[in-house]
Amino acid sequence: MSLELAQRFTEILLALAFLQQSAEHMSGPNAARALFLTRAVLCLALLTGVYSDWSLVALSIHSIAVLHRYNGPYNGGSDRMGLLILYCLTLSHWLPEGPLTQTAFAYLGVQVILSYFISGWVKILNPAWRSGAALRDVFAFSAYPVAENLRALAPHPRAMRTASWAVIGFEVLFPLALLNQTLLIAALACAAAFHIANACLFGLNRFVWFWLAAYPSILWLQSRLIAPA
Amino acid sequence: MLKTCALILPALIPSWRFFQTVEASPRVEWTLLATARETPSKWHPLRPCPETVTPLQMLARLFWNPARNDALYITSCAERIALGLCPHSVGEITTRILRDITTLPIHSCTKLMQFRLVFVAHNGTELTRETVFLSTPVATLR
Repeated sequence: MSLELAQRFTEILLALAFLQQSAEHMSGPNAARALFLTRAVLCLALLTGVYSDWSLVALSIHSIAVLHRYNGPYNGGSDRMGLLILYCLTLSHWLPEGPLTQTAFAYLGVQVILSYFISGWVKILNPAWRSGAALRDVFAFSAYPVAENLRALAPHPRAMRTASWAVIGFEVLFPLALLNQTLLIAALACAAAFHIANACLFGLNRFVWFWLAAYPSILWLQSRLIAPA
Repeated sequence: MLKTCALILPALIPSWRFFQTVEASPRVEWTLLATARETPSKWHPLRPCPETVTPLQMLARLFWNPARNDALYITSCAERIALGLCPHSVGEITTRILRDITTLPIHSCTKLMQFRLVFVAHNGTELTRETVFLSTPVATLR
């Protein structure tokens, strides 16, 4: 995958993710309508691909207004991934063509890898995660389950331990998928399924769209680092 | 400028430590009062989870989930308040409660709203609840 193609895929997926987010804000009970109407219009401009450079700059400046409005990210990690993609894309468009452009886009790919690996590493160091007790607590009393009946999953220690190790194993082994393109595509499909499961069980739908938007960067990075098998 | 940098930097250099530990989890509860000195008798949960969500609803929420995302934002605000009083977060929660209760039939003598943050944790074998924040009563919108 060429850099230009990966950038374009990322622009389209990011614009769609921001549009979905903006539509929710504009129609929700606590809508900051004018703020997100502006973002939606800029995303439509980015989707067309005309003046992408300027659309990205405008979205980057606009993102600062959104951060100030909510005194930080509205939805934690998913918003941060959206901003990381936006800033890396903007830099990769505006930095002088060559190694700097590539480094800015590669940084996004590296962060996608780290988002899985670090998340798995901190869990593997925690005895509560290794025993399944942490996942039990997520279901038992955290604010995340989307329905009260999902809390009934908590008192099943074997299932909690198995699910914990499945998540930990996938996350810490994810970087190995870079060794082969087919393996990477399979790993990204598993990762997408993982995000969809989190969206269904915990209501974290924005993670799905922002992480998907970052995947072209890792596919491009893999093709740059390792020749196709 | 310093604040803008503080807001942008965590996005540029993320920590990615999702669910490193599962800490006590906040619940926001509100009550209505006739006077600021009144002792609240009943606390209502703010936007409680439904009992069930069907698989079809779960799939639909992949594309359309504004209420849930706002609930997650309220949780973030509650966590920010617990870390140290954050007037912005208090304001965000207050605004949402006041907006929600305008649709409820409220007794005419209740003129004030107050909310509290209750943190739920797992203490060995049972769940415990601890109130960590009590807001100053504010006038309702009616």
